[in-house]
Amino acid sequence: MSQQGDARYVVATDVGGTCTDAVLFAAGEPVRLGKALSTPPDFADGVLAAVAAAAESIAIATDELLARTALFMHGSTVVDNALFTRSGARTGLITTEGFEDTLTMTRGAYGRWAGLTEDGIKHPVATDRAPPLVPGAHTRGVPERVDYKGAVLRELDEDAVRQAVRSLVDDDEVEALAVSFLWSFYNDSHERRVGELIREIAPGVYVTLSSEIAPVPGEYERASTTVINAYAGRIASDYITSLQALLRGRGYDGPLLVMQGYGGLLPAEEAAERAVGMLECGPAAGVIGSRHLGSLMEDEDIIACDMGGTTFKVGVIQGGTIDYAREPMVDRFHYVAPKIEVVSIGAGGGSIVSLDPATGVPGVGPASAGARPGPVCYGLGGNEPTLTDVMLLVGYMDPGTFLGGTITLDAERARQIFTEKVATPLGMSVEDAAIGIYRIAAAQITDLIHEITVERGLDPRDFVLHAFGGSCGLLCGVFGAELGVRRIVVPYTASVNAAFGLLSADIVHEYSVTKTLPAPSPAAEINEIYAPMLARAREQLASEGFADDAIALDWSVDLRYSRQVHEVTTPVAGGGPMDEDAVARLTADFEALYERKFGKGSAYRAAGTEMTMFRLTARGLVERPRVETAALNGADPEAALIGRRDVLVEAEGGLAPANIYDFERLVPGNVVAGPAVIHTPITTIVVQSGQSGRVDAYRNTIIERD
Amino acid sequence: MDAITFSIIRHRLFRVIDEAVITLKHVSGSAITNEGHDLMVSLYRADGSLLMGGVGFLHHLTSAAEACKAVIRRFEGDIGEGDVFLTNCPYTAALHTSDIYLVAPIHHDGRLVAWSACFVHVYDIGAMVPGGFSPDSRDIFTEGFSSPGIKLVEGGTMRRDVMDTLLNMVRAPEMVALDLSSMIAANNVARERMGALIDKYGAEPVDEACAALVDQSETLFRKRLRELPDGRWEARQYFDIEDETCRVLLAMTKEGDELTFDFTGSSPQSHYGINCTYWASWGGFFAPLFPLLCYDITWNDGVLRPIKMIAPEGSVVNCTRPAPVSLATVGAIQSVNNAACTCIAKMLSASEKYAKEATAVWHGSHFAIFMFGLNQRRQEAIGILTETFGGAGGARTWADGIDVGGEIPNPIGRMANVETTEATFPVRYLFRRARPDTGGPGRWRGGNSIEFALVQHDSPEGGINYVVSGKGTEFSMSEGLGGGYAGAPCAYRWVHNNEAGEAGRNVNPFPTELDEMTGEAETISWGVFPLKGEDALYVRSDGGGGFGDPLEREPARVQADIESGMVSEGVAASVYGVVMANGAVDEDATRARREALRATRLATPMAAE
Amino acid sequence: MSGTRISATLVVNDDRTIACMACGHALGPAGEPWKKSARLDEGPMQGAGGAPYSNAERVLLRRFFCPGCGALLDTESALAGDPFLTDIVRV
Repeated sequence: MSQQGDARYVVATDVGGTCTDAVLFAAGEPVRLGKALSTPPDFADGVLAAVAAAAESIAIATDELLARTALFMHGSTVVDNALFTRSGARTGLITTEGFEDTLTMTRGAYGRWAGLTEDGIKHPVATDRAPPLVPGAHTRGVPERVDYKGAVLRELDEDAVRQAVRSLVDDDEVEALAVSFLWSFYNDSHERRVGELIREIAPGVYVTLSSEIAPVPGEYERASTTVINAYAGRIASDYITSLQALLRGRGYDGPLLVMQGYGGLLPAEEAAERAVGMLECGPAAGVIGSRHLGSLMEDEDIIACDMGGTTFKVGVIQGGTIDYAREPMVDRFHYVAPKIEVVSIGAGGGSIVSLDPATGVPGVGPASAGARPGPVCYGLGGNEPTLTDVMLLVGYMDPGTFLGGTITLDAERARQIFTEKVATPLGMSVEDAAIGIYRIAAAQITDLIHEITVERGLDPRDFVLHAFGGSCGLLCGVFGAELGVRRIVVPYTASVNAAFGLLSADIVHEYSVTKTLPAPSPAAEINEIYAPMLARAREQLASEGFADDAIALDWSVDLRYSRQVHEVTTPVAGGGPMDEDAVARLTADFEALYERKFGKGSAYRAAGTEMTMFRLTARGLVERPRVETAALNGADPEAALIGRRDVLVEAEGGLAPANIYDFERLVPGNVVAGPAVIHTPITTIVVQSGQSGRVDAYRNTIIERD
Repeated sequence: MDAITFSIIRHRLFRVIDEAVITLKHVSGSAITNEGHDLMVSLYRADGSLLMGGVGFLHHLTSAAEACKAVIRRFEGDIGEGDVFLTNCPYTAALHTSDIYLVAPIHHDGRLVAWSACFVHVYDIGAMVPGGFSPDSRDIFTEGFSSPGIKLVEGGTMRRDVMDTLLNMVRAPEMVALDLSSMIAANNVARERMGALIDKYGAEPVDEACAALVDQSETLFRKRLRELPDGRWEARQYFDIEDETCRVLLAMTKEGDELTFDFTGSSPQSHYGINCTYWASWGGFFAPLFPLLCYDITWNDGVLRPIKMIAPEGSVVNCTRPAPVSLATVGAIQSVNNAACTCIAKMLSASEKYAKEATAVWHGSHFAIFMFGLNQRRQEAIGILTETFGGAGGARTWADGIDVGGEIPNPIGRMANVETTEATFPVRYLFRRARPDTGGPGRWRGGNSIEFALVQHDSPEGGINYVVSGKGTEFSMSEGLGGGYAGAPCAYRWVHNNEAGEAGRNVNPFPTELDEMTGEAETISWGVFPLKGEDALYVRSDGGGGFGDPLEREPARVQADIESGMVSEGVAASVYGVVMANGAVDEDATRARREALRATRLATPMAAE
Repeated sequence: MSGTRISATLVVNDDRTIACMACGHALGPAGEPWKKSARLDEGPMQGAGGAPYSNAERVLLRRFFCPGCGALLDTESALAGDPFLTDIVRV
């Protein structure tokens, strides 16, 4: 996929819940950023507005930019949105007779408590399931049965299928159908036949087969995934098709690549058939971007944080690899699809600070004032003190220079409301109370990061922390220090995290075969499993224009100890095809990974080891221009010093004077000694005492202990 | 203690438990621990009192406190840094021998500052029947090994002699070793994380925060109790085991800010292992009490302080050694849960403010089927069918109970996929679904239960065995509330397809209803049975209790239940008085029917007669 | 309906009598057992709620009705001869 004609820009756009971000760059030019509000349900308007904002920075019209664009990468929250607003298709489910309630029963209480906070879980009387996307009345069981080996025990009753399809379409007026049979990931013949029959009987109906969308064990999660895909399928495909048409109409004739939750891109035509793949693709792109930034800076172990208005999100990169989520959910629905693990808590700039009515104990979030009315200090009618107001009260934000001076912050009102609702009830001074709230927020973040690193047997002290998002720079100096991370990087692209991530992504197809084999097994047997996947992958990538030297094929295998439930995806070192040595190496690598993840002594080897899933990740390496580095200047930041004021200095336990710098005037090579505050046009970076902040050749700010 | 530090320390204590639970699941790797969440990790103060309870099987929060206290008494002067103690004696603290507690002191600068404790239901305990549930045991001596307290790890080093002795007494010792390792690892994590917390904030402030946390819970709980009316509420639970009928009677009295649970009048202890010990009853009513009354209060010793219990010695709720107790967790403890849920719910429904927190009983029988035998890979497979965690929600005063919606004492249980069970045991499911008409009728309907059937499949021995520990077949154990009916009882059927085949009848290999099965369906409820050849096991669990008068249920809701298949038209007419015509509610006929049913009611005799 | 709530179906009125929440029919003095003042249907639980009610024949469903309006005030499962459950709320 090479650059065509005089087109030379790469454009990436990410549609988030609130904002749509654009990033563009070309060889020899700096990275440009653009931002616009998202515009549901017609998200394309926001996309064009963000592109226009970025185009403006190089003073060309949107159409001209698009005409000169070689690659257009895109991520969108459209599928998440369809689920949250329940605006998908009227969907039916065809499943194995006798197991019609699998979806609505949600494995018992699982669907009732999953996705709730600890407070919610402790209050079962107040809990309920989400109403299912497919009600029981739109589910039909048909006679058929496959067993745990994939053997057909009972042939598919085709007449029953025809009857089920007709009644779902004619009587229940469904527009989409999900098909999910027991053990179909071992033997998909019945599902495929049902797919054919549906296309024959009701060609207008959107169909998803579980064996195609999620060929993995576990009928509840598989059915749920299939239903989500059928439910949102038409919305996703219409969205992608119309975006493609819109871009064509504006002069773009290159490919449209769409981000997936596993952190890779798919060509538009394929993405259109995999609605479920687009779920949570924004946060996934953020982690991919972090990995790319890490590779530029030669860091392989990264804690990638993103803190915006409502949530704090964190993903972990270890040795350059990224873990997939174990039990992903969207809204209250489970699905199984490879998805980069990103965990979050409701702590962002807009998070409301409140005192527990019963105990008077202060807390931050999860309720948020959002963008409207927003924090008190924005003066947009916000009446609840937020974390952003606290940042103002501890001196980190400057009322006059916020967002490049576009909004003047109302410090007086923030102080008044905070006094009334927090400081006075706590019997503390405004400063002490604000400092205390700041610490609670920092501690909650520390605890979250601790949890997700410890959960995998990782020690945060081995990691570099990336601080993305509008609010992260205000807190990272404190929680980064408590975690003891090696250093903190506040990226230049901190405010357009996901869009930046898209720029670094490749086209990625994921294939898998579920089959249980003892480990070790003969290499030939394993290679035979891979053969059809490899053929499919090569054919696919070739059709997308990738030459052999632009294709990477990564093999990995899920292994487990045969009496334990935890499976670990283990990369096949050196790729395939495998020989007997490679099989032995795979088992050894699994053992090492298992021990590292689950702790020493956690493995029970005596009952043997088995391979349960064979995965192929096929990447088409997208050619892209290199990001330019700038020459380094001297360390002295004097030219960027714009003032001095009292701010919270954690080591002092209170407010103390600190230098204030303007990021726009800092040049690569400058080193700022803490305590100091750096204001950028979009965010603020706080360097604590005992730390220094250095601007690197990519204009990232690197915070390190002295 | 300033509010900020207190808030941070409290949050950190939650996290200590979280991380310990994650570790326990990682190391254990077993299905009952990972799928069923049949586990618990909690923190205790230096004197063994509950500091912070985690979300696990809630009966254990208080029992593990007793385990800590027992170790403190028994090992005084011999409790060192890095020690781990094991207790599983039901007459000391545990619920039954299969639930092993490992408790570990947490030291800081050489001083004992706290305890951590955890439990899992271990793979085997060396009882008569593999897995521990032993219907034929007649005393504690045949229920596996039982220790009132033994030091398993000394100063961080495993005592090999002790470990080897324990493992010498159980089946599948490697799996039990894994269970024990997982608990040791969880305790280690709790100790390390507590240590880090104390390093950061200092021993004194942390201790002060812990004391404040306990006091805060007491203050909040007493305040809540004062908001509720004074009174005395009764509940009665029956269960039948073979020839015996047991009663658990509870009178709960609330006066001011104190509650008394009085079990006087409950049946004498049983010959069967459904009895429970004193501390098991104590934990048994706290399991619903924590989530029903303290959903927004930290679960710790402060909640225990306003509570008293009277449990007659030698009764089914306070049995005398050596009475058998291996089925206590699905026996008397469950009845204590249910009776406490009913009494608490009645108290809540007497309050305008708290009526919305009241609920009929969830998953009253806690049916359990334990399987054991060789699986299709010739491995010894022992384990519970996780449908027991499927449960059924009791109706609330404002909403229906949740169909197959779990239970109160284990807030985050779940059941395994059919595909998971079919891969683990040599069985094939014929069907698994929510069973219509099992939820107790009411203005708000109780949640429907689950029904399923199994046959053996690819078993190297032609089949496998199972234990049915079945109270709740004669009696409905999920009581209704405020006029709601109790949920339907459980049913277990051994379907004799083998005999049908021998008699020359065609055995239907793919029935999707009990009625479609070929063989004679024999009712079973207690004991060890084979699942061999073509025979099938059919199980229906009990439905959740209903709330309020069924004649008050909005007809539109009854119609929706009929459409989703959750209520039959027959029950709609006979119990709800809702008459359907052409798929819609016949308003006139419904009004007439409901009037007629009310008239029948008014023709019944006065209760005094 | 006025009065102070004492259960999901009953109130205590200013005159210190227990009354049906639906119709106000009096069921005796506050602080005393009220069930004897109600109408009672005591029949087998078996089948009472539909086919899955496969209880033993001896298991009874007691339904206490308001003599005024026929509202279902409370239920009990019971064996014949076991006393009524008594709830006393002091308001």
